[in-house]
Amino acid sequence: MINSNAFDYIDVLDKAADASYLRHEAITNNIANATTPNYKRQDVSFESELERALTNTRYTSMDEKVSNATTDDLSARTYTDYDSVSYRLDGNNVDIETENVMMVKNQIKYNALLTSINEEFSNLKSVMK
Amino acid sequence: MGMFTSFDINASGLTAQRYRMDIISENVANANTTRTEDGTAYRRKIVTFAEKDSQTPFSKVLNTATDNYSGKGVKVSSVSEDTTTDVNKVYDPSHPDADEDGYVTYPNVNIITEMTNLIDASRAYEANATAFGTSKAIAMKGLEMAP
Repeated sequence: MINSNAFDYIDVLDKAADASYLRHEAITNNIANATTPNYKRQDVSFESELERALTNTRYTSMDEKVSNATTDDLSARTYTDYDSVSYRLDGNNVDIETENVMMVKNQIKYNALLTSINEEFSNLKSVMK
Repeated sequence: MGMFTSFDINASGLTAQRYRMDIISENVANANTTRTEDGTAYRRKIVTFAEKDSQTPFSKVLNTATDNYSGKGVKVSSVSEDTTTDVNKVYDPSHPDADEDGYVTYPNVNIITEMTNLIDASRAYEANATAFGTSKAIAMKGLEMAP
C-alpha cells in the first residue's frame, strides 16, 4: 500500500486544494484592500502549473502522468496583477464585484476538490472491505 | 499559509472599514461645531488605509522572489485633517463665535460627501463580511475530509 500508486490522485488533488485555499486568502486580501490607495491586486496561479506538469512529460496515460508529476512541479505561484485596468484615480485596481465572483468560483472549486478526495478515499475503502 | 490567515485578513478589513465609518460619523456629528478645544472651527478628518505588512525587509524580498503569498490584510495608516477644502464662512454677527467682521467659520464638512463615503465604507464592510462567511465555509468544508 505504501509503495503503491493508490494515493497518486489524492496527492495531486491535495495540492490543488491547497492552492485553492491560498487563492481564497489572496482574494480576501484584495477585498480587504479594496479602498487602499495604490494597492495592486494579487492572485495565485495553479492551473497553469498543473497543465504544464501534465503536458510537458514523456508519459502518455493519465495514470502515469499523475504518478510522475513531482510535487515540486505543482506548487502554487503568487503574482501581482499590474495589468488589470484601474478604474480609479487612486491607482487601486481591485474591482469588488469581480473579486466576489472569483471568490465564489474558487469556493465551488474547493468543494469539488474535497468531494473528489472523499470519493477517492471511499473507493479505496470499498476495495479494502 | 496558515489555516486562519484569511480570517485575520477579513477581520482587518472589517476593523478598518468600521473605523472609517466612526470617523465619518464624527465628521457628520461635528458638521456645525464652531468651537473646538483650540478655539477654532472643527476640521473634517480623513482616514487613509495602507496594506498591512508585518514582514522584515529580507523576508519580503524572499517571498516576492519565490512567488510565495504573504498578504496580511489592511491597516489604518493615518487620520489627518482636511486642510485643502475651504471652510464655510457665514455672515451672522449675533453668533458668539463670529469674528470682528461678523463672519462665523463653520467646518469644511460637506454632508453629501460624508454620506457618499459612508455608503462606500458600508458596502466595503459588507464585502468583507461576505468574504468572512466564505472563509468560514471553506474551512468547515476542509474538516469534512474522509468521512
